[in-house]
Amino acid sequence: MSIKISQLSKNFNQFAALKNIQLSIDDGEFIAILGPSGCGKTTLLRLLAGFLSPTYGKIEIGENEVGTPERSLPPEKRNIGMVFQSFALWPHLSVKEHIRFPILHHRFIPAELKKNADERIQQVLQMVSLEKLSDRMPNELSGGQRQRVALARAIAPKPELLLMDEPLSNLDAELRMEMRKEIQKIHRLTKATIVYVTHDQGEALAMADRIVVMNNGQVEQVGTPAEIYTRPKTPFVAKFVGKANLIEGRWENDLFTPHLSPDIEWPDDGVADEMKYFGCFPVRPEQLYLTKDRNKNDSITGIITSIQYQGKEIHYVVDVSGQEWAVHSSVYDQFQIGEQVFIHIKHAVRKNNLVILK
Amino acid sequence: MRALSSLFRGKKVLQVLSLLLVIVLFLMPVYRLVILSFKSGDVFTLENYANILQDDKTWSVITNTVIVVAGATVISVSIGILMAWVIAYTNIRAKKLMQIFIVLPFVIPSYISTLAWTQFFGSNGLYSTLISFLPFSIEINLYSIGGIIFVLGFSHYPLVYLLSLNVFRKIPTEAEHASRVAGASGWQTFRKITLPLALPGIASGGFLAFIANLDNFGIPAFLGIPAQIDVLSTYIYQQIVGYGPSAFQRAATFSVILGVIAFSGLLIQWLLLKKSKRIETTTEEKRPRVLLGGKWRIFIETILWGFFFLTSIVPLISMIMTSLLTAYGLDFTLENISLKNYQYILETSPKAKRAIGNSLQLALIITVTGIITGTGFAYYRVRKPNRWNRYSELAISLPYALPGTVMALSMIFAWMEPLPGWNPGIYGSMMILFIAYFTRFLILQIRGSITAVLQVDYTMEEAAAVSGSNGWTKWRKILLPLMLPGILSGAFLVFLTALTELTVSSLLWSSNSETIGVIIFSFEQAGYTTYSTAFSGIIICLILAGFLLLSGFQLLWNRKVANSN
Repeated sequence: MSIKISQLSKNFNQFAALKNIQLSIDDGEFIAILGPSGCGKTTLLRLLAGFLSPTYGKIEIGENEVGTPERSLPPEKRNIGMVFQSFALWPHLSVKEHIRFPILHHRFIPAELKKNADERIQQVLQMVSLEKLSDRMPNELSGGQRQRVALARAIAPKPELLLMDEPLSNLDAELRMEMRKEIQKIHRLTKATIVYVTHDQGEALAMADRIVVMNNGQVEQVGTPAEIYTRPKTPFVAKFVGKANLIEGRWENDLFTPHLSPDIEWPDDGVADEMKYFGCFPVRPEQLYLTKDRNKNDSITGIITSIQYQGKEIHYVVDVSGQEWAVHSSVYDQFQIGEQVFIHIKHAVRKNNLVILK
Repeated sequence: MRALSSLFRGKKVLQVLSLLLVIVLFLMPVYRLVILSFKSGDVFTLENYANILQDDKTWSVITNTVIVVAGATVISVSIGILMAWVIAYTNIRAKKLMQIFIVLPFVIPSYISTLAWTQFFGSNGLYSTLISFLPFSIEINLYSIGGIIFVLGFSHYPLVYLLSLNVFRKIPTEAEHASRVAGASGWQTFRKITLPLALPGIASGGFLAFIANLDNFGIPAFLGIPAQIDVLSTYIYQQIVGYGPSAFQRAATFSVILGVIAFSGLLIQWLLLKKSKRIETTTEEKRPRVLLGGKWRIFIETILWGFFFLTSIVPLISMIMTSLLTAYGLDFTLENISLKNYQYILETSPKAKRAIGNSLQLALIITVTGIITGTGFAYYRVRKPNRWNRYSELAISLPYALPGTVMALSMIFAWMEPLPGWNPGIYGSMMILFIAYFTRFLILQIRGSITAVLQVDYTMEEAAAVSGSNGWTKWRKILLPLMLPGILSGAFLVFLTALTELTVSSLLWSSNSETIGVIIFSFEQAGYTTYSTAFSGIIICLILAGFLLLSGFQLLWNRKVANSN
């Protein structure tokens, strides 16, 4: 089911949580809403669910106008399913009963599913691999299993829109990786539109068809994971998603000259026009490398101030005339704290061979 | 848009109406009582106060009250803290079972405990049998100031225990360890770290015990009236039942004085709380922190069980023994034992039978109306907190906070003539008891239900809404089942308190609307101790049955859904 959000704003008393959001979501799309805490992403999700009503603007789901300041359909009258951050399982109901509940009460459930409720329950249990645990109570399940029950409950009535509010943030790192695959599988099987709220850029990049990056109640950028990662349009996106160093300088004919080092020129590797307008070159830490000797004349001098060994790579912080640059380098070239190094840029990604997945 | 605004207006109207109801039911009576204390005929004056404060008897009553309340509060606080510390900190066994015994004096109405104690220390009681084995003898007369202090203190220590237990458990173990590492001894740590951190719980528990001691009517009525020792609560009662020309004005004035004393207690609690710092951790340490060695542990366990045995079980046994005697004062031997007192209560006495019927009816109706209004209000209060329902909660808790005699008196003033010149006969019928119990005990249900609502995370309701139900189905399938244990423990407390209530009904009863408490009191006053003890025995059995039922239910429930988030 497609979603159209126009000029949406939400205020809590004096505080503007959302400011003039415009967004269209296609039928069957997996959209991740990514942003730091307090950016308004959860507010947007709760508006989509119908737990909040807009202060200004309009939300359309499919053909229906579901949210305007005058009239907001309550959640139970929207064709949605939702997975909560806390899972929100009902402690007095078994796994099976959790799945049966929406099959009994959801208003948009196809008639044949309702008629064959038990069959549907089995089907859903299979989708989330909980067949053997169907009679367990929530307190007899592990964290990952609880998450699966929450997923099963949300998809059981075949809603056309699935809302997920940081569903993996209560799980440990390994389980999170596993559940990513699970959620992708569910997206494949149900073909539902998914709106997935997260603050974890890894989750957003790995699963979403498109990412909506939000900050301070506003949309910063909308794009495919590759676009968002490699061609950030705003300094915020560059920093938040790519952890990029924002290097200030001058753009001239697709060549960039950092203010710190007026002699060198970096070629344009696909920097967004918006960034050029800011006079910025966003360089992600993995785009830089360090050498001990000035073997090329395109380098910038700096001093190592911090080293964090990560196993597959080493994270350095290099002081460049008072600015701190992050550089990720392979474990094969090692440097010491206080050592003078020369920073170079890799030219692997050029404008014309920018890879866009999808 | 218009429909929406009219809905909004409808909601406003409902809000105003419920607020009005709260004011009329919960605040008006107190207002009328205070006004009456300043009235003589139709003019406002301080005459009542002047007359009363010039009376020497007043000062002796106030002195008695202060001595009794202070003494009993010291006992309650000391035993309460000690118990709470031992249960929270040490590794003694069978804590769950001990908890039941600790809460027992709280569940059994104080006038029944008093009866039990008097039978224990009575001339033919178990105490004299026990003491006769000793070479010396100590006479104990419960019908004295010391006796009142003793029974009050032992009846109300559970309040201190209950409020300080969790505070003790919440004291971070690290805070105490840090003190030990910094060089303080165990005792210094207790004095300088543990006690100050536990102060909020101790202060609120102590205040509740203070109020309970001040407010209690049953104990000074059973022990003090025969010995002509008057405290404020019994003195107010005697003013009203003694009639006289200005009985109501005098009683109202004494009530205000009682209120002032209660308020001074609140002030002390506030001062203590202001000085203490709140603990920020919310996790409770359930593991014992003081590991006692085998001998010590057995020693302390023995002392505790001895205490429970002596304070809970032995007096009750004495009371049951008395209730089985064919005539009061006989020795407890086989030929003097029969069940005829029980037969009298359950079959012969029309008054006793009527009282059981009345009390059951009152308790049931109050419980059911309480569950509905109390849970409704609690839900609204928790989910949509605002100024109005906060003030409403304060207003609703007022009749419970007032001493029972004062509360009953205010009910008389409010409902004898609800509007000037119009007497619908509410006072003098069961109706006044219904209204009084409802206003007095509603807060108990609200507290229970608020805990219940708080335990249900809001996302569980949202999950129900997303799953398609936001109305009656959500309540029936999700909210009510999850809140049931909390609602039921509130309801159980309301039922029990209403069933065995004495103070309020002793002033509001009329013929045909006697309650269990009133009849036991009148039997005792008339000297029919075998009947009063038998009646009490029946009530104890009822309470135990209810207690078992509730615990059984909670056990089943916990097995099904406990430890889940």
